[in-house]
Amino acid sequence: MGDKRNTSRREMLKLMAAGSALLVFPIGPLLASEERQHGNGAKGPYWAYAIDTARCIGCCACMRGCRDENDVPEDVFRTWVERYRIGMDGEVRVDVATSIDHIFEPIEGDVANAFFVPKLCNHCEKSVCNQVCPVGAAFNTPDGVALVDQEHCIGCGYCVQACPYGSRFINPHTHMANKCTFCYHRITRGLAPACVHSCPREVRIYGDLNDPKSKLSILLRQRSYRLLKPELGTHPKCYYLGLGREVV
Amino acid sequence: MDTKPPSYRHTTRLFLVIGIALVLAVIVRSQLVPESFGEIGHYRADAIEEATQFELRHLGREACAECHDDIVDLHAKDAHARVPCESCHGAGAKHVAAEGDGEIHRPEGKQVCLICHRMLAARPGEFAQIDVEAHFAFVGVEDPQTLCVDCHSPHEPLFMDRDLRQARLHPLIHRCRDCHIGRTDDTLPRPEGHPAIFECDYCHAEVAAGFAERPHNGVRCTACHLFFKETESAGRILRDSDPRFCLLCHRDAPFRSDDAPPGIDWPDHRETMAEDDNDLDKRCIDCHQDRIHPLQTRTAAAGEE
Repeated sequence: MGDKRNTSRREMLKLMAAGSALLVFPIGPLLASEERQHGNGAKGPYWAYAIDTARCIGCCACMRGCRDENDVPEDVFRTWVERYRIGMDGEVRVDVATSIDHIFEPIEGDVANAFFVPKLCNHCEKSVCNQVCPVGAAFNTPDGVALVDQEHCIGCGYCVQACPYGSRFINPHTHMANKCTFCYHRITRGLAPACVHSCPREVRIYGDLNDPKSKLSILLRQRSYRLLKPELGTHPKCYYLGLGREVV
Repeated sequence: MDTKPPSYRHTTRLFLVIGIALVLAVIVRSQLVPESFGEIGHYRADAIEEATQFELRHLGREACAECHDDIVDLHAKDAHARVPCESCHGAGAKHVAAEGDGEIHRPEGKQVCLICHRMLAARPGEFAQIDVEAHFAFVGVEDPQTLCVDCHSPHEPLFMDRDLRQARLHPLIHRCRDCHIGRTDDTLPRPEGHPAIFECDYCHAEVAAGFAERPHNGVRCTACHLFFKETESAGRILRDSDPRFCLLCHRDAPFRSDDAPPGIDWPDHRETMAEDDNDLDKRCIDCHQDRIHPLQTRTAAAGEE
């Protein structure tokens, strides 16, 4: 009987040692070591977006295209272009073309670096805007597009506050939340979104993450990219190629 | 002891109230919650279908080509080939729906061209950028009101004589601003220890030497041999020998100054100089090649740099 108790004590100690080893060597990451895949694995497309910032000339054709296509009112934007200027002292200044025709004016003074960054809704996989909507009017379609239900939105503006990328606004005419729809009426007909269509420099690339042969999937495998505010865990689907580290 | 049977009247009432409240709640909910809500997720599934119903405004160049195929073809071979028609002319759906009678935007003025081509530090170096003052000085335009379209057709800005896509890939021709942000003056001397860069005379030494002795010697090689960067190390290069390309600098026009490059009255010049009908098809370089550089164009790099 004594022997039996000794054995079980030994086993107990072994178990405890193994258990404490688990605390030291976390196995979670080992189990999840497989690289995070693009796409959601479902049938059908899963839309996403890439922006090759190094090619952007800041002509804002995308903004005009978006406005024409989607009846976006004056003074609000579904997509916009920011100009980053890094001064000789390292200070980062950002401006946006605000005139009606969206024209960037030259600015005097020497800069260490300067570039344009087009921005729009990131169509996050885990959208914050959807989580705060009290009436279920903000949602992500199964093909990965964040939309606003224009029949059902009550215009409370919670989503406008919640979006970490500033992509939403209240439409001054309809008084409802409004945002980039990824030109859902175009992509579902096999056409490029208006901003992609209008861009003269092929800065904007859209595509299907579920299709490993789509231009976007190939680009994401070949080139390094960055996401905006990845630490928030929203899993944005707007991939920036060649983005300056000053941009957050 | 007299024990009354327990009365359940109060609980019956309670259940009755709860029951009515539940029935009411179900009725109210069925009225308030929209149809198709929750079918896929916590939203109205019909909203997806509704979002696809928005009408198209941008129709693409195929729609333009149905009536304007001549312009679309011109446009496809020149430097603006990648600029969609609707980038400058706005969305075309109304125009197409009205079979050409509907309004279409016709850009006017220099500012429209400068939206893309104004010199800005933030623009990528390889992109064609114009400092209007410097450009006018180079081609001898003295009237500041002169428009870009007075010389450059927007559909065919450089009058390329071949499709750019047919031009061969060529090693990258650097400009200072490819690496130095905002450095627009390519004539600045390079500091000591500047890394060697690939230059025209490395392969075309004989041509470059001959060029230096002739009247065009103040002009960069790439002013005529158009270079369009495609990758980090290469691009397409094209010698443009369409007479209208030479006329971008040499056209006799009222807005040009006296010290402008020699002005030519075209096509009168060709007609006056022609000796027979065959000469009426001649291009500028057919007679004036000797004013540019010797004809050998491909000379392998000999020895070391």
